[in-house]
Amino acid sequence: MYKTKKLWTPLSAVIRRALPTTCRLNTYTPVSQFRSLSSHLEASSRVSLSPPYFHDLYRNLKFSAKNFCSLSAAKVNSTTIRCWNCDAVSAGTTPFLYCDSCRSIQPVDVSVDYFQIFGLEKKYDIEVDGLEGKYKDWQKKLHPDLVHSKSEKEREYAAEQSARVIDAYRTLSKPLSRAIYILRLEGVDVDEEQTVSDPELLTEIMEIREAVEEATDSQALNQIQSQMKEKMEESSNSFANAYRSRKFDEAVTCIQRMTYYQRASEEILKKL
Amino acid sequence: MAEPAYTVASDSETTGEEKSSPAFPEIAIGIDIGTSQCSVAIWNGSQVELLKNTRNQKLMRSYVTFKDEVPSGGVSNQLSHEHEMLTGAAIFNMKRLIGRVDTDPVVHASKSLPFLVQTLDIGVRPFIAALVNNVWRSTTPEEVLAIFLVELRVMAEVQLKRPIRNVVLSIPVSFSRFQLTRIERACAMAGLHVLRLMPEPTAVALLYAQQQQQMVHDTMGSGSEKIAVIFNMGAGYCDVAVTVTGGGVSQIKALAGSAIGGEDLLQNLMRHLLPNWEKLFSSRGINEINSMGLLRVATQDAIHKLSSQDSVQIDVDLGNGSRICKVVNRQEFEEVNHKVFEKCESLIIQCLNDAKVDADDLTDVIVVGGCSYIPKIRNLVKSICKRELYKGMNPLEAAVCGAALEGAVASGISDPFGSLDLLTIQATPLGIGIRANGNRFVPIIPRNTTMPARKELIFTTVNDNQTDVLIVVYEGDAEKAEENHLLGYFKIMGIPPAPKGVPEIKVCMDIDASNVLRVLAGVMLPGSQQPVVPIMEVRMPTVDDGHGWCAEALHRTYGATLDLVTVQQKI
Repeated sequence: MYKTKKLWTPLSAVIRRALPTTCRLNTYTPVSQFRSLSSHLEASSRVSLSPPYFHDLYRNLKFSAKNFCSLSAAKVNSTTIRCWNCDAVSAGTTPFLYCDSCRSIQPVDVSVDYFQIFGLEKKYDIEVDGLEGKYKDWQKKLHPDLVHSKSEKEREYAAEQSARVIDAYRTLSKPLSRAIYILRLEGVDVDEEQTVSDPELLTEIMEIREAVEEATDSQALNQIQSQMKEKMEESSNSFANAYRSRKFDEAVTCIQRMTYYQRASEEILKKL
Repeated sequence: MAEPAYTVASDSETTGEEKSSPAFPEIAIGIDIGTSQCSVAIWNGSQVELLKNTRNQKLMRSYVTFKDEVPSGGVSNQLSHEHEMLTGAAIFNMKRLIGRVDTDPVVHASKSLPFLVQTLDIGVRPFIAALVNNVWRSTTPEEVLAIFLVELRVMAEVQLKRPIRNVVLSIPVSFSRFQLTRIERACAMAGLHVLRLMPEPTAVALLYAQQQQQMVHDTMGSGSEKIAVIFNMGAGYCDVAVTVTGGGVSQIKALAGSAIGGEDLLQNLMRHLLPNWEKLFSSRGINEINSMGLLRVATQDAIHKLSSQDSVQIDVDLGNGSRICKVVNRQEFEEVNHKVFEKCESLIIQCLNDAKVDADDLTDVIVVGGCSYIPKIRNLVKSICKRELYKGMNPLEAAVCGAALEGAVASGISDPFGSLDLLTIQATPLGIGIRANGNRFVPIIPRNTTMPARKELIFTTVNDNQTDVLIVVYEGDAEKAEENHLLGYFKIMGIPPAPKGVPEIKVCMDIDASNVLRVLAGVMLPGSQQPVVPIMEVRMPTVDDGHGWCAEALHRTYGATLDLVTVQQKI
């Protein structure tokens, strides 16, 4: 029976879909003085940071738990990548997500990073304006809506590729997620759960928190909001510098600041 | 793709139809079932064409009369007189009632319709009935829509000389996923397979994308990104979308919608004309229904006239000895409806905020739907968006044309001139989340997330040694869980004993390319490398009709013993 068959799929396959994050087995003891504010903040900010994890684990499991022949084949012959369908060789100028000769969608190749997808040099300060157009060009080739009549296999590729391009667009278009991503490409994983230890930032957080709580009208809130924007830009610039000079510890600190300013800014927006 | 461990399909009649991919793609037709009017369109090989019924109408009234043995709808049936719709035998406005329980304010507002809508306010289906030979014949919104859709299908089959199966339907932004299953059910009853359900303004956005693409081709102009606001208001619903369009691709940045429309304008004006009318007609005798109908027609007519003239004379004999003779001017009409107009304004503002778009960045402002003729509506949109309105569309046909375009695109049809070189990238109109932190609604996929989407949050237990948790899935934007649409619920059982706050309960939501929502939940304990109980994967929605009492009953029975809280985030 259809249903029973489904019930007994190996668990590993399920985890790949269900539990993107590897287990971080710390108990959650909230830092009490920030508790009330953080409880307001958690939902939105947590979610926005999860997709990179997903891809990480996805990649790991793909190689360890499951053998995706097409994918590993693509990896092995990284010099000559061929289309799974028509065997045409990728031109090599653009990342091979889609075969121009037979118009079929290729399986996800995780070695192609988000910057490459958008034809960008791997650097933090990029022109965000050009992303939207390139993103749409890809979607017009990869979106699952456009491959209804194709094989089950290719529809799956479409779903995965299209989701990856959406994620790439979302990640690169915002400074914070772009910063986290670019560090991850350098092998530095930013744990957004990490407790703030920098006393200077702690004091600042307290101050901002008080200011937000005491703000009575939208004018006051707007003022804090533009402050947040300024601080965000400042940290973004110092991140760019730190990254360029490969001072990754400093870069991580900048990300912490940016994370906080973003949360505060979202919180203010809710109050407005 | 990995097979899920558990799949709980909710509505068997709507699932498992996606598998067949026919060798010859059949072009799906586009259908716009409006609260008051409906239409059908199809890509005819070179352009979108609206189909006409035997009376040469492109727009048909959305109603079904139960007068004779066989119910008949507004496609085939010809009313001898407008008033025939008001004898109690005709059922209409079903789009406002579908998938709603009797505690819903929208159902309550429908009690003034000239047929029977009764509520018990306990969270079950409302009692809806037509008066046939002095007997109340009960029906359901699904049945009425199905009768109607069958007529539309037959009409299209006769004209296109082929069987019709696949359809793209435009739907209101504010419809919950439960309501979507009811629409799919009605389609299934009518022998139609839903290829896509498209929020109305996104259908309009696709038409806009095509028009802009055409312009680029014609003038060899720049193909830059264009930001447009689309405001759609019909008889039953008001929808807003912000789209960023370029190269024939419409990316939906934000959606907002509410069940307000021309029907509310009409009822408010009726109340203004006859303040105690609801009481007067509450007994629902044949005479009361008739009077109510007469008042409705006269008021409707007056509203239409007020779109082009400053004041209107209303003179109607209600047949029960009372006669209404009044002059109403446009200002009065706007005053009695100021709340509706304010709601419209707030929807536009919310949508712009959500899209993070400033009015100054807009390229075009598109106003469509039956209410787009009302001067106040046009003015309020213009003043918020600081733009003159876009002129390139027929306000009553835009949505169905967009649906037909989507039908052609989704059927895999291509056009040598590139007219179908189009794509809509949809966003979720409502947030989807679960009940946690007491009675709070915690969104996991926030509204306006690009689809397909997958997001997750971590929760934990509230009691020591809590072995079971209840995952109650809601859709909406309200803070309190019960103010959102209930989609379903399931329990995770057998969590090994642990102090409260220790088990890590991961809830993941996944919307795939065909807009199917799955909820996955797994439990991790410190020291374990594997989930400690099998991961549950449930396809939503799981609720059926009359679900309104479910959440309340669940809560009463289980209290806080199965509750969840979000894991506190450290700063």
